[in-house]
Amino acid sequence: MGSNTQKQHHHILSTKVALMIGGTLLVLTAVTVGVAHIDLGHFNFFIAMAVATCKALLVALFFMNLIHDRPENGMIFATSFLFLAIFVILTSTDLFFRGDVYVKGPLMAAVQTQSKWAKPWISTPELVAHGKELYSVQCVACHGVEGKGNGPAASALTPRPRNFTATEGWKKGRKPTMVFQVLRDGLPPSAMASYATLPPDDRWALTHFVLSLAPQPEVDTPADFVKGNINTNPVGGGEKIARTISIGQAMAQMAIPRSPSDENAHLDHPKFDRISEAVQASNPGARLYEEHCVRCHGAKGEGGIKVHALGVYPVAYVTTSAFKSSSENLKSIQAFIHFVTLGLPGELMPGYGQLSASEWKDLYQFIQNR
Amino acid sequence: MSIEETTVHHHAHHFASADDEFEAAKQGMWIFLVTEVLMFGGLFVAYAIFRGLYPEMFHAAHQHLAVNMGATNTVVLITSSLTMALAVSSTQKGKRDHAIIYLVLTLLAACCFLVIKYFEYTHKFHDGLLPGGLFTNTELKDPKSPLFFSLYFMMTGLHGIHVLIGMGVITWILRRTVRHEFSPGYYTPVELVGFYWHFVDLVWIYLFPLLYLVG
Ligand code: HEC
Ligand code: HEC
Repeated sequence: MGSNTQKQHHHILSTKVALMIGGTLLVLTAVTVGVAHIDLGHFNFFIAMAVATCKALLVALFFMNLIHDRPENGMIFATSFLFLAIFVILTSTDLFFRGDVYVKGPLMAAVQTQSKWAKPWISTPELVAHGKELYSVQCVACHGVEGKGNGPAASALTPRPRNFTATEGWKKGRKPTMVFQVLRDGLPPSAMASYATLPPDDRWALTHFVLSLAPQPEVDTPADFVKGNINTNPVGGGEKIARTISIGQAMAQMAIPRSPSDENAHLDHPKFDRISEAVQASNPGARLYEEHCVRCHGAKGEGGIKVHALGVYPVAYVTTSAFKSSSENLKSIQAFIHFVTLGLPGELMPGYGQLSASEWKDLYQFIQNR
Repeated sequence: MSIEETTVHHHAHHFASADDEFEAAKQGMWIFLVTEVLMFGGLFVAYAIFRGLYPEMFHAAHQHLAVNMGATNTVVLITSSLTMALAVSSTQKGKRDHAIIYLVLTLLAACCFLVIKYFEYTHKFHDGLLPGGLFTNTELKDPKSPLFFSLYFMMTGLHGIHVLIGMGVITWILRRTVRHEFSPGYYTPVELVGFYWHFVDLVWIYLFPLLYLVG
């Protein structure tokens, strides 16, 4: 038969070795099941994975005969695990450590410090230049490099993305405050999403860049600012204050334990007591609290009210807890203002930046007394 | 002329020898298994992320899996891996009768695995422990619990599909063995199907502790 047959140098697994390996695998299985019944905290996981890896090695080396196979085959197979490790490790580090970096890093600082520009709602060449940079990353996919509304993704969209070089066809309008509102609120139900996650300065920069593409710019009147609910207080750059929170903080908030009894609470129409008119009239803090906070925190600050956290399935709810004077956020009025101005992400708790110093004091005192 | 000689395998003309052909086929199989690792890899990453995010939910949900059935299935699969390895070595040694017995045993073990899985799944269906929006169980309070069962069904389901495919290819080599198509001179398909089957075992070796034990 000559060259038609395989030569006999391939290693053949002996029955004895096969049985030994099979036996060892079964023993190792018993070991993992046994160890799982003992509570060793995090070690349970590592032991289980170590045993599984031993078993996997035995199968690969002996049953799959890698030990006698050509080394490159082993390398090929091992490489896939290397890539798997990269996949797992990079994804998890991003997920589990991004929050920390975010809080400490410059992004968070950017949110809290003053606007870089004294009046970002007034166009300057620097703002336009900055806007151009942002535009090329955030907007070209739909609005196109030249702003003609013909980006690569545009053909799939109805309505089509706006052509910024035309003076016609604008839904909200061509004044800076109007574009700023589009970037803040989006244009539902179209593909034009809200860019409220960008700091206000960046949104103003984008606004000015977009408006620089068409001739005959339109100018804002003071009334436009009022209409668009944009205040010209330099802190926060024309917006109350950015509602930004680190992912780590958000996760911690979402993990607040729920009490088992509230399963039947009517989720979307939570019930809560109101604060009486009389108390409101005599105490300005009570009035503010009734207006802004009672629907989620309850008349006595007792909490226990379900708040929609995320709209994705499964819909996540967070149950508010009672205010505790020991809480970091209630210890001092500074910490309180800081927390409440930022609010919490999603639908959890809106940020409140529009209160005056005396209102903050009233509100803080009112909550302190609950 | 004996039957072996009439059904002898001729290597394809673009290979210098049968050995070359065998090595090329084997390397191809390893590369295929690499893609399989990466396919399951995506699910393992999803598992890692959700387990890291919601450890309590995972812990509560995993207690609704039947460890006994999972452990039995582990034993069944390991045994089938052993019989598969023996089927390959019997073919290599030219012991056709043994090879047939081992292949049949492997197939039986695979059936047994699927029957146990069937009982596990029906139990889950009955308890409403289902993925995503189908979840109707009321014992698990955490609203994120359906996530665990999405992962459970995706991971064990994809693995179950591999078991089914494995049974198909084992049946195919069993038929060819019965027809005297393999000999110590030619056993490439048997060995490669063996690889596939051991890989199915490998995946389960990780799935079992991750889902049933450490949740
Ligand atoms: C996913 C695609 C998409 C992206 C990305 C996108 N847009 Fe849009 N945009 C649209 C669509 C679609 C419309 C038209 C909506 C309509 O007519 O209702 C639109 C409309 C607009 C308008 C017009 C508002 C008006 O008054 O008519 C402005 C301004 C705008 N986008 C700015 C931006 C800026 C700035 C960016 C980058 C930060 C951006 N868009 C990114 C799809 C997109
Ligand atoms: C849409 C619902 C909602 C509204 C409205 C709301 N909150 Fe909250 N608030 C929450 C949620 C959810 C939490 C986080 C869960 C918790 O700690 O109870 C929270 C937490 C807090 C905390 C931190 C408590 C702690 O123990 O650390 C303070 C302080 C607070 N809110 C104050 C206010 C004030 C003051 C107002 C009114 C100006 C207000 N909240 C309005 C939902 C809301």
